[in-house]
Amino acid sequence: MNQSRSLSAAGVLGAALLFAVPAQAQQVYKIGVAAGLTGYAAAVDRAWRDGLEVAVDYVNGKGGVLGRKLQLVVEDNKSEPQEAVTVYRKMISSDKVDIFISGCVSAGNFAAAPLVVRAGIPMVLCSILPPQPEQVKWAFSFLAPPRFEVEKRYEYLKANTQIRKVGVLHDPSPYANLQKGIAEKIAPDFGIEVPVVEQYKQDDADFSPQISKMNAAGAKAVIKIGLGGSTLTTAKNIKQLGLDMLLLGSIDDLAVFKPTGETLGAQFMFVAAPAQVYEALPDGALKAEIGRFLPLWRAKHGERDPFWGGKAWDAVMVTMAAIEKANSVEGAKVRDAIETISGFQGTGGVYNFSPTVHQGITTNPFFMATMVGGKVQVK
Amino acid sequence: MTKDRATILETQALSARYGRIEALHAVDLDVGAGELVAVLGPNGAGKSTLLRSIMGLTDSSGTVRFEGEPLPRRDPVAVARRGVVLVPEGRGIFGPMTVAENLQLGAYLIGGRGPAFDQRLERVLTLFPRLKERLDQAAGSMSGGEQQMLAVGRALMAEPRLLMLDEPSLGLAPQVTAEILQTLASLNRGGLSVVLVEQKAPLALQIAARAYVVAGGTITARLDPREITSHDQLARYYFT
Amino acid sequence: MAGRLLALAPTACAVVLVGYAIVAGGYFVALAGFALIYAVFVTGLNIFMGYAGQASFGQNAFAAIGGYVSAVLTTTWDWPTLPALGLGVTGAVACAVLIGWPTLRLRGHYLAMATLAIGLIVYEITVQWQSVTQGYMGISGIPPLGVFGYEAASDRAQLVLLSIVAAACMGSAWLIRNSRFGRALVALSGSEDAARALGIDVTRYKLAAFVLSAGYAAVAGSLFVHVVGFVSPEIFGMNMVVLGFTMLYVGGIGTVTGPLVGAIVINMLPETIRELKDYQDLVYGAALIVILIYAPGGLASLGALWRRPAEPPKPEPRPPVPEVVEAHPSEARP
Ligand SMILES: Nc1ncnc2c1ncn2[C@@H]1O[C@H](COP(=O)(O)OP(=O)(O)OP(=O)(O)O)[C@@H](O)[C@H]1O
Ligand SMILES: [Mg+2]
Repeated sequence: MNQSRSLSAAGVLGAALLFAVPAQAQQVYKIGVAAGLTGYAAAVDRAWRDGLEVAVDYVNGKGGVLGRKLQLVVEDNKSEPQEAVTVYRKMISSDKVDIFISGCVSAGNFAAAPLVVRAGIPMVLCSILPPQPEQVKWAFSFLAPPRFEVEKRYEYLKANTQIRKVGVLHDPSPYANLQKGIAEKIAPDFGIEVPVVEQYKQDDADFSPQISKMNAAGAKAVIKIGLGGSTLTTAKNIKQLGLDMLLLGSIDDLAVFKPTGETLGAQFMFVAAPAQVYEALPDGALKAEIGRFLPLWRAKHGERDPFWGGKAWDAVMVTMAAIEKANSVEGAKVRDAIETISGFQGTGGVYNFSPTVHQGITTNPFFMATMVGGKVQVK
Repeated sequence: MTKDRATILETQALSARYGRIEALHAVDLDVGAGELVAVLGPNGAGKSTLLRSIMGLTDSSGTVRFEGEPLPRRDPVAVARRGVVLVPEGRGIFGPMTVAENLQLGAYLIGGRGPAFDQRLERVLTLFPRLKERLDQAAGSMSGGEQQMLAVGRALMAEPRLLMLDEPSLGLAPQVTAEILQTLASLNRGGLSVVLVEQKAPLALQIAARAYVVAGGTITARLDPREITSHDQLARYYFT
Repeated sequence: MAGRLLALAPTACAVVLVGYAIVAGGYFVALAGFALIYAVFVTGLNIFMGYAGQASFGQNAFAAIGGYVSAVLTTTWDWPTLPALGLGVTGAVACAVLIGWPTLRLRGHYLAMATLAIGLIVYEITVQWQSVTQGYMGISGIPPLGVFGYEAASDRAQLVLLSIVAAACMGSAWLIRNSRFGRALVALSGSEDAARALGIDVTRYKLAAFVLSAGYAAVAGSLFVHVVGFVSPEIFGMNMVVLGFTMLYVGGIGTVTGPLVGAIVINMLPETIRELKDYQDLVYGAALIVILIYAPGGLASLGALWRRPAEPPKPEPRPPVPEVVEAHPSEARP
């Protein structure tokens, strides 16, 4: 008993040390970034980091926030949970960051969430939200709800085609699994049947069996859920099998869509984010916000897909808005303020945060697009 | 040749093969209690295979009787329990372990330390005083001669009823070889039954009561060392 | 004397580092914690690979079993942590017996292959069996370690607890190494036939070593999930095996303290050079190579090298022709 008290006293002491940041020494606002710069998340998370850099330069160019310059502390979590815990710990206790704006390695963010919450630091995420309610309280996701990507495709099929039977092809990642469940659940709302749901592994080289099965069951479109080269593989297999099925891809990098479009032509359609179809957008708040970001992005990164970089930009802008609203950089106050940010126009859509909604995108921001002659066209 | 004492080991039609190669063919060999028997023969004759077959380390056919009871084939642990101990070719010393640990392993079957163990250790260290100075040394860092002493010492820790040695002279200087063979001779005089495989036939014949010559997997000659008087005589057995 | 002190140096450094972490706090605590957990994992690996000289590429499977059983029982079924850990270890041990029993009686590398397979299979199960493991989503909200109603909730308390567990594991490894069983393992790793000829039941002992190592791995896996509070399949991926091997060789395979030294060095080394950013991996790799070149027996055996300059076993060429040709039988007569 005695021992347990002294141990917990040691714990309290440790926590006190964590919080004992000399206030006036802090001339900068430190943004901690745990990102998978290497490992499976590298493509997205490098873009996320690069977007953050663009945004931070922009904000600093305008004088920073509340008189403080922004400073990024980027640590590579190697796309692994254990590594994530280590780098989060480092940024909390050594760098004493004020906020986290971290990448898309969900498992890493989940693993570190208890520490971050204990330290009272808000975490703004590219990934989905951690499952525990007390952790969600401190976490904000800039990802669109997985439902939107599915709904967009069903809406399109319902409005523009006669297709009422589809097959779902997905990988085993958490995000894809979520979407798969949704795809099955909401299909009836659109008068659509899903007779076949098939899973693949990211490194599989042939999906012909799955596609043939879907075709045999009468599916006329493949709802493809999952990132990367597997989409191109699917397109190739559809073509080899000589099927007239549509392939409807989920949000991904334009670099993936280009060869897929070349393979399958108009049979291939995909869910596109606003920043990916900038040129085709009507004038308005959305186009204006992307127009603020895109030139800065292109100046540094050329024709690289601006989607994830734009999301990162949004995350910084929402954070800045919250700090100004709170008129404070203190973690708890910034957290409270983010909950009040709504109707915020970002490059990825409109963000509506509230005490009950920590996933800011609440209206579907996506478009259906095709890739014609290497150019994105909105349907 | 006459046998004037009880037989401790007897093989009948012992054969062994490695895949298609028959390394040992119908070997009949016997060892009397308290006798030192040498097994001679050229490289690749099957001498090591013979010892390994008796020990149960290789697949073999035929029968091996030890102290009147058959020895199980292919069960070296059971053979060791019966008191048959092999000092393998190349000594089989455990290099990373200390001399003391190697000796402890020799007495593996009697379990942990105790009066029985201490007694055996005492005996072995008296026999090989050089080991006593090196108890904490890694066995692998000792000289070849010392390692061979350790190999014999370790075998003695098991208090064997039959000690089988596979070319203990391998790679050793003549004096060291002589020293080790003299030790074997004195152990034998003390009543220990020994099978000694040697290529250095003249040395082995000095201490053996009887000798077998193995070539091409079969026994080509049974010798009485007292009858071997010249080099040529012996060479004849090898190259027939 | 100096040699003896030097032999202790790597271990002393390890202990000092952990002690420092307990006092200093900060993210050093996380590093030291992981290091201690890995020390347990590698200690198991060392018993099987270092002592018994066998190869297992699937130790991550046993860590996963320990970790997931702990995670599921404490979150879904509200078990206390200690019984959950116990059942996880039991499960891993049972699994090790099931794999080891048939494969270890076969000669050749069947066990190594089987362990590789089990590593992949358990990984797949953790990914696919979503109703229990929640797949890649992982299980969060795993409670911290507790003993008899007391929960080691603070970082330091956890580290103290981990230090105790790690010390107990090192202690048990020392006892094993210096027991009849441990000597038998080292013997069979040197020569199975020589070990058999001494009466050692080689198959049974290999199995025992394998099962023991699985037990240690399961303890490590369980500790890990309770310390982090979260588990997902990647935590027990192939990476864990690679890391374990690296720690074992850098620390000193076959030595008692090697796993602890290796785990601490491999966990801390990248942190000391984190400032190098993109060059971190490069420098880390170079450092490993330097260590393995200058301390081929691992850091823990540096002192031993000092103590007795290695006298390599002399090569003993076989005489190419029967000795009779050179010897003089007449002299040989008594
Ligand atoms: N493991 C094995 N696999 C295949 N063949 C083997 C094996 N061991 C021995 N042999 C073969 O069996 C025959 C007998 O070998 P063995 O080692 O018994 O000879 P030896 O009389 O001990 O020779 P040496 O004096 O060179 O030690 C040789 O032809 C050898 O090549
Ligand atoms: Mg031989």
